[in-house]
Amino acid sequence: MKNRLKVLRAERDWSQGDLAERLEVSRQSVNAIETGKYDPSLPLAFRIADLFGLPIEAIFLKD
Amino acid sequence: MPTDTAASAKRATSFWATAFILGMFGAGALLFTNLIQPPWGMAVMLVPMLLLIPMVRASERMQRAAGSASPAAARYNRRMLAASFAYVIGFLVAIALFVDREVSKPVAAMLSLLPTFGTFGMIWAMARYVIEESDEYLRVRTVNAALVATGLLLATGTFWGFLTTFGVAPHVPMWAVVPTWAVGLGIGQLVNKVRGA
Repeated sequence: MKNRLKVLRAERDWSQGDLAERLEVSRQSVNAIETGKYDPSLPLAFRIADLFGLPIEAIFLKD
Repeated sequence: MPTDTAASAKRATSFWATAFILGMFGAGALLFTNLIQPPWGMAVMLVPMLLLIPMVRASERMQRAAGSASPAAARYNRRMLAASFAYVIGFLVAIALFVDREVSKPVAAMLSLLPTFGTFGMIWAMARYVIEESDEYLRVRTVNAALVATGLLLATGTFWGFLTTFGVAPHVPMWAVVPTWAVGLGIGQLVNKVRGA
């Protein structure tokens, strides 16, 4: 699954560590999600969507 | 620089891990060559065990630098360390009480429990980590590695069993399952790395 996490993060001038702290996950998790190595669970996807104030489908895209 | 910190923590972890392995081999060599005598001479094994403390601290620094540290992982490291010490101490006490003594079977069974308690501690620490880890990605990585370890243990155990049945390989005591599983866990973590998971 593709995602726009890196772009959204860059728009806010957040580092991976900043985003990880806001999501209460490890920096490695943010990196794995951003690079498409790991697809988050639905609860974590909702947390990400809430943080950016966007619907899930505006962040995560089908391949 | 974070990269320097990560590299230095990695070097420190490798250093202490190598020192621990060499220390254990050294203690084994002293016993094997009868330079020290069991059972109490075996207490020399406790010395390299102390090297696990700086090793765990260095690996925690490495986890922090790599962005994979978590409170659950820190608790796991401490529990595993305590369980490892409990295992070695239990093992030494059991051997010391068993060697050169005519012990009854019920007493021998009780002595067998002494090192086993440490092993139970390790299994409990692993189970608690999977339950307590709130970071789902780190949890998935651990569960993947544990599945690889379990698969390898079952496959190796079955193959070795038949090698024993057909007289090709010597009998291996059943307590070898935990160290074998731990090796499998390391391989599982390598598999995670190779798969980019």
